[in-house]
Amino acid sequence: MVNELLKEFHEIAASPKAQMDRYLAEGRKVVLTAPVYTPEELIHSMGFVPFGAWGADTELKRAKEYCPAFLCSIVQSILELGMTDVYKGASAIVIPSLCDTLKTLGENWKYAVKDIPFIPMTYPQNRKPEFGMNFTIAGYERVKADLEKLGGTFSNEALAHSNEIYNRHNKAMRDLDEVLARHPEVGAAARSDVFKSAWFMDKAEHTELVEKLIDALKNQEAGEAKLPVLVSGILTDAPGLNEILDDLGMHIVADDVAAQSRQYRTDVPAGDDALKALAQKFSGMDNCSVLYNQEKPRIKWIADTAKARGAKGVIVVMTKFCDPEEFDYPLIKKACDAADIPVAIVEVDRQMEHYEQVRTNLETFRDILMM
Amino acid sequence: MYTLGIDIGSTTSKCVILKDGEYVYAKGLAVGGLGTQGPEIALNTIWNESGLTKSDIARTIVTGYGRNRFEGGDGEVSELTCHALGGRFVFEDLRTVIDIGGQDAKVITLSESGKMSNFVMNDKCAAGTGRFLDVMAGILCVDINDFEKYAEKSKSPASISSTCTVFAESEVISQLANGVEMPDLIAGICDSVATRVASLARRAGVRETVCMSGGVARNGAVRKAMEKELGVRIEFDPLAQYFGAIGAALYAHRQLTR
Ligand code: SF4
Repeated sequence: MVNELLKEFHEIAASPKAQMDRYLAEGRKVVLTAPVYTPEELIHSMGFVPFGAWGADTELKRAKEYCPAFLCSIVQSILELGMTDVYKGASAIVIPSLCDTLKTLGENWKYAVKDIPFIPMTYPQNRKPEFGMNFTIAGYERVKADLEKLGGTFSNEALAHSNEIYNRHNKAMRDLDEVLARHPEVGAAARSDVFKSAWFMDKAEHTELVEKLIDALKNQEAGEAKLPVLVSGILTDAPGLNEILDDLGMHIVADDVAAQSRQYRTDVPAGDDALKALAQKFSGMDNCSVLYNQEKPRIKWIADTAKARGAKGVIVVMTKFCDPEEFDYPLIKKACDAADIPVAIVEVDRQMEHYEQVRTNLETFRDILMM
Repeated sequence: MYTLGIDIGSTTSKCVILKDGEYVYAKGLAVGGLGTQGPEIALNTIWNESGLTKSDIARTIVTGYGRNRFEGGDGEVSELTCHALGGRFVFEDLRTVIDIGGQDAKVITLSESGKMSNFVMNDKCAAGTGRFLDVMAGILCVDINDFEKYAEKSKSPASISSTCTVFAESEVISQLANGVEMPDLIAGICDSVATRVASLARRAGVRETVCMSGGVARNGAVRKAMEKELGVRIEFDPLAQYFGAIGAALYAHRQLTR
């Protein structure tokens, strides 16, 4: 049962285009959601299927017309896919303002991809105080108005319902993360598939599938212990990377990955005003390189979680040219050193074809952890 | 018991046979690494030198960039692990290994007990590697083995500010055109490698005893520039280029005896 479900997740994760076409064929409208956080609940409540657009491992050609080489390849590949019509059929793309590179993506998109409208989601830097929350709500209002132009309808009840669907999905993903920490037989590649597939599925459907997987895993005896590690970064879906983690017998017992668990840590609180509740969720979110917090609680979170989950080491997967993550790395290293947790850093980008350097790096790291 | 370590690098192949994990019984080196005849030539050298045959070898471990492609070993181990083991085999108090190879540079630190504790790699860039020195030697038409001799005569090393090998190449050419003396230019080139690798080393954390390994270790001018830059003594052993292969042979021995 577990393997069958993992196969299903793999197929979905490996063929987003087929998923999107399926929704379009059902007559549903798809709205692309760029990294790192977009108000998916709002988009969902207005009758659209939010569909993750994190780019793809591909050669960058057309995007270079707009992007200098030092923009992260995630953003460049999103633009590349937009310009080469891979996202054709989508009703719009929502791009948040959470890092400087994303800001350039929105502006470039307007000119480079004419048939998919760009909807900006502008977030405040200070999201916790009242004025910050109001700023977030204003950002939502803009998204809402743009979606209305595309035929979406807003109601407080519908949003409250979507908030519930998303909360349930968050919980399923958190539960899954905990269960997977006890099942080393589910490798890094399979784990990545489960998380990645969430971006290409209606959340209610994905929840159902994930809950089935959790049940199946609970009925399955845990496999032989492997080397427990915590993985941190923006995106870790590259097959070349996951193959190495699996070859080296590493078991991801926790992740601090933006495209994975960082998405699911915070729920929308209860409240009569569903839009305000959504803004409260954003204000409550933390422990992420793109969510400003002077105290940098993320650093302690990583060291504490590694300890709590029994990780022997932390692997930082650095997306090349991602400045928010680069800024945090020295702090992560320092905190983990102080907690006696070895750290490895490997640099990846979406144009990478050869992973030999990564293999050498992680092989050496495994030796450090095991010798 | 004989164990064999093969280190297939990007530009050279090295192999070492250890007897009982205690001393170097035979060694072989050939120009040409990954994807060339280099590994085979180095192995032929070692069989001829030792009088041993493959059947005398209890275990073979392969390391270096070419390790995963080589058929005929009993296992593969990362070159960083092997350089740490090999370095510690030669220098018993070793805490830091600075390995400058043909295409990259790595710094590995060891705990007091000799356990590998940290490492930093520079990848995807030829700056601060053997390749950089080769390119410069080519432009200057100077044998790389003479770099030390030239650098010793330098009064005021030229400054090479470009971090990129390609840009540094044009910088060196314009310095030549401006009449900068060869010793000053060569000392400047060695300083530039030293500065780059020293910053890697500082990131890993430098502790004495420090040694250099890899092909560039033989270049006394770079070693001295590194000593100046880091403010520590850098040990050198004629076996420096074989540390990876020694480490692999030692790893093989440990696997059989533990
Ligand atoms: S990878 Fe980093 S730079 Fe790129 S969009 Fe994400 S946060 Fe911004």
